[in-house]
Amino acid sequence: MTISRRALIADIGTYVAFAAIFLFFAGPLLWLFSLSIRNSGEVYVSELRLLPKEPTIVNFVNVLHHPLFPIYLWNGLKLSIAGAFGAMLFATPAAYALSRFRFKRRNLVMIGLLAFQMISPLVIMVPLYRYMDGIGLTDSLPGAAMVYIAISAPLFTWMLKGFLDGIPQSLEDAAMIDGCTRWGAFLRVILPLSLPGLTSAFVLNAILGWSQFVVPFILISKPALLPIAVGIFNFQGTYSQNSTQILAAASVLSIIPAVAVFLILQRLIVGALTAGAVKG
Amino acid sequence: MVRVVVKNLVKKYGDLQVIHSINFSIEDGEFVVLVGPSGCGKSTILRMIAGLETVSGGEIVIDDAVVNDVPPRERDVAMVFQDYALYPHMSVRQNLGFGLKMRGAPRAEIQAAVKRTAEILQIETLLERKPKELSGGQRQRVAIGRAIAREPELFLFDEPLSNLDAKLRVDMRTQIKRLHMAFKTTSVYVTHDQVEAMTLADRIVVLRGGVIEQIGAPADLYGRPANIFVAGFIGSPTMNFLSARIVANGAGVAVAPDGGAPLGVPKALEALASRHVGKAVTLGLRPEHITNAWTDDVRDALAPVNVKVELAEPLGADTLIFSKIGEREIVCRVNPQASARVGETLALHANMSCMHLFDAKSGAALTVS
Repeated sequence: MTISRRALIADIGTYVAFAAIFLFFAGPLLWLFSLSIRNSGEVYVSELRLLPKEPTIVNFVNVLHHPLFPIYLWNGLKLSIAGAFGAMLFATPAAYALSRFRFKRRNLVMIGLLAFQMISPLVIMVPLYRYMDGIGLTDSLPGAAMVYIAISAPLFTWMLKGFLDGIPQSLEDAAMIDGCTRWGAFLRVILPLSLPGLTSAFVLNAILGWSQFVVPFILISKPALLPIAVGIFNFQGTYSQNSTQILAAASVLSIIPAVAVFLILQRLIVGALTAGAVKG
Repeated sequence: MVRVVVKNLVKKYGDLQVIHSINFSIEDGEFVVLVGPSGCGKSTILRMIAGLETVSGGEIVIDDAVVNDVPPRERDVAMVFQDYALYPHMSVRQNLGFGLKMRGAPRAEIQAAVKRTAEILQIETLLERKPKELSGGQRQRVAIGRAIAREPELFLFDEPLSNLDAKLRVDMRTQIKRLHMAFKTTSVYVTHDQVEAMTLADRIVVLRGGVIEQIGAPADLYGRPANIFVAGFIGSPTMNFLSARIVANGAGVAVAPDGGAPLGVPKALEALASRHVGKAVTLGLRPEHITNAWTDDVRDALAPVNVKVELAEPLGADTLIFSKIGEREIVCRVNPQASARVGETLALHANMSCMHLFDAKSGAALTVS
């Protein structure tokens, strides 16, 4: 077999694999979009077709006219931004310490961060609810934001640590010799250089916060405080039995901001995910 | 300008001790080079002087004050790093003025210092550029400029030329030497390159495994190395070492290398050699002391050495001949006119007045006393 033929087969195989992976992930989204543009008569047809016979945008109109929908969006934005910002405040000095300082059980701390990150929020939700209820922080955006921060901080720390590892320690040494305290070296030299990493990690955490469901579902019951992820869930009960298409339209609308942000800022996000992976 | 004294300095990382109670001093205005192989602790010592590493034991005294617990910003030192450590988000101008700005100097003073430094290092046209827009040599000049702009009491250099190409290294070495001649600031320079050490230093501290092997002026280390390690480290190409035995014959005392003809010891060194007759020693001879061109003043100290050429490296001004005495490889430096075909035997002479004798077991240089 010639080299070019082998390369052609490899290319074809690669694209086939890409297509399969794309269908696997995009399939549900495409079906969701298909449901969102169907009228109630076409929702439960037996034939498999992505494009309905009579596509309609009336579902989107209904969702957008719902009085709570913009409030859900606004709550979702507030919680995701607050969660990412709060995580950044805690994660930045933590990442700096893990990157720069050599202390006993440092590796244990890092593994611990990762290990706790792996615990599903579902596992702690019931005791968490009782605890938050006991201190009066259920049904409150600040209370939910605190939990968002706690969940996001470990991931933020890991991402940022990888980024900080790529900044040479000699820069801080130079700054301290030039007259800075360690804090001054951090503020004047390290922080400006880590802005791209901070921004990337912030955006990624905000996107993850946008799609957070379990925490607000457990901790918030007042409709006016619900973020979009949970608000959509409530659409199911709002309308008559044929509400699947409404739910689908609401879901599509809720993911548009996250997808748009990801597409616009994808380089930043990939940077946050791969920080520290390659030297230089 | 300051005097720096290092007293019984110890450094440990957990249970691992890397610096073993070393002592040395750097006099006012002196340029001292710490040299040694990788991992010998020279950068660790420099960083302890700078205040960037904690001291596990002993003292660092700068101008009669113990500075063990004094932070770097209060020691009035400036450091040039191996990777330049220029602030990437600042322009060259801002890099040069950063130290003065941190010390609260007025803007006019900072501007004047930056201008003066840029003129000295000929980087006036680079002031508005960012470090990533500079070449390696330009970055290093800016790094040096950042150090001298502050006019500190003590300069510290941590292998500043390692990342430069060979030609640039020579140029920058000369520049550093000229700056020291102009400013006479007390300086500590760390390198693994013995050529840099020899050319820059007033005194050299040779380190191995966290221990000082020898301290002295370049000529002292070159001409009177304290042991085999220093003898082999200083000088390029490295000194030839031959296992040998001191023998006495009718004509006097000779050094007989294993597998080679005895080499007569000149009268000036007979007292040294005769104390160790019958003893196994290591004979050290530098390549330039096994050659084919001699002046009259050393004729009495010459011993004939016939070498079979295994490899010849013409350097232009000299030719290096690789050969063997017994099983040991030796390098000889001959003038380029010498015919040096592989397989040919050259009749050279060793200048035995420049020989070095070392104890075969400990490696210490043998002396008369």
